[in-house]
Amino acid sequence: MQETTAACRDAFAELASPARTHDPYPFMRWLREHDPVHRAASGLFLLSRHADIYWALKATGDAFRAPAPGELARYFPRAATSRSLNLLASTIAMKDPPAHTRLRRLISRDFTMRQIENLRPSIARNVAARLDGMAPALERGEPVDLHREFALALPMLVLAELFGMPQDDMFGLAAVIDPILKGLGPHASDPQLAAADAASARVQAYFGDLIQRKRTDPRHDIVSMLVGAHDDDADTLSDAELISMLWGMLLGGFSTTAATIDHAVLAMLAYPEQRHWLQGDAVGVQAFVEEVLRRDSPVMFSTTMRIAQRDIELGGVVIPKNADVRVLIAAGNRDPDAFADPDRFDPARFYGTSPGMSTDGKIMLSFGHGIRFCVGAQLARVQLAESLPRIQARFPTLALAEPPTREPSEFLRTFRALPVRLRGQGG
Amino acid sequence: MRVVVDQDLCATTGQCVLTLPGAFRQREPDGVAEVCVATVPQALHAAVRLAASQCPVAAIRVIESDVGDDERASADPAPSPGEAELHAAKEQRNPGGHDGAV
Repeated sequence: MQETTAACRDAFAELASPARTHDPYPFMRWLREHDPVHRAASGLFLLSRHADIYWALKATGDAFRAPAPGELARYFPRAATSRSLNLLASTIAMKDPPAHTRLRRLISRDFTMRQIENLRPSIARNVAARLDGMAPALERGEPVDLHREFALALPMLVLAELFGMPQDDMFGLAAVIDPILKGLGPHASDPQLAAADAASARVQAYFGDLIQRKRTDPRHDIVSMLVGAHDDDADTLSDAELISMLWGMLLGGFSTTAATIDHAVLAMLAYPEQRHWLQGDAVGVQAFVEEVLRRDSPVMFSTTMRIAQRDIELGGVVIPKNADVRVLIAAGNRDPDAFADPDRFDPARFYGTSPGMSTDGKIMLSFGHGIRFCVGAQLARVQLAESLPRIQARFPTLALAEPPTREPSEFLRTFRALPVRLRGQGG
Repeated sequence: MRVVVDQDLCATTGQCVLTLPGAFRQREPDGVAEVCVATVPQALHAAVRLAASQCPVAAIRVIESDVGDDERASADPAPSPGEAELHAAKEQRNPGGHDGAV
């Protein structure tokens, strides 16, 4: 990194700069090597070494706590007036045990390994249907936006089924996700936050109606189940809590999954010599999926606030009590102390291992760790595992039609478009 | 060997079920992990230790010593190559200097 000199004033601002959008990894490497326990000008800390991140994630709920309700204003001065920030503050991601434990267990019923396995046939059907839908245009030699037509559509369809929502409603709601995500970044502008709040109001209103519908006509879906839990336990799970929980699942649920499908397709195209992992058994597919997740975490750093409970010393730096500490997951996943030759795409690191752990026993950090481990991790993995071999088999001559367009974001690595075509079709 | 899950601590990630479905399952109503074997068969010892080390909230406790294990340990103090590898992996996962205390 020649352009980065001895110090970096604010790594968050660096990560948000358009110059880093295409490839933030050289900067992350510089940060990890020179300033691994970074204190930004704003007072936020950012950890970038695998070992430190792993420790902080495990210590969440213990050495780190969630912000107290009245405390949010100190970190987000606009929290008092922002609907989106208030919703964020009331999600499970901002709660400590025992409230966190109780809410987590309410949603876990629909995310057990068995429940997710039960969704596999329907996910496989959706994958096949979306690929069928793309085939005519591709076979005519036309470019198709794989991001919109497949990567984003699949998790939307899966989430619509989980929530018991009509597919068209989900496609409508999905349009307002990006403005909300942009409003949640640490450097969101006032207009961005206003746009996020307008979008959040729409999501809130929709879920408010959905809850009423499920209350009068419960079905086998997560919203009906949560409404039932709510009505049995009226003191502790309010409609507002329920709405913020659904809002959080919507935000967490598909931009990230879509980006990982996009990254996986890009890896297939960039490293054809690694495609054989997708042509054999499920163990090879799993290894490919885990390596995609490791090499390109869709969440660069978590927006979840981790407030130090006490002074914490890491790598010779003292993080003072009450500091807000964020973890740069994408940098930890490329730490050579955890993953040798970390920029190399090498599914062998995860071949035959327990999901999420490398053959060297290192944890892949993209789903987090500790009490806030991604509740949708297995759902995402199954979507990826059902998608990639089918994409490979159905379109073996898939190629980029144009370079992909990334969604500018401070903390996510997501896409706006991934135009593909078939080689030898229409040129 | 026996294995227990601290169900108050369990974060319902299901990681143990993914690692070793033969020894762990999730309760239907809330996803909390439970152990589905009374004692861990020899063939699963390494995998159970792995599941315990990978649990995101360290809710799995392995109780190594039972009569059979003690006898085997005294008769054959050297760990098998597989176990040695696992211990090495475990060491790497817990690097020094990260207790977070000041």
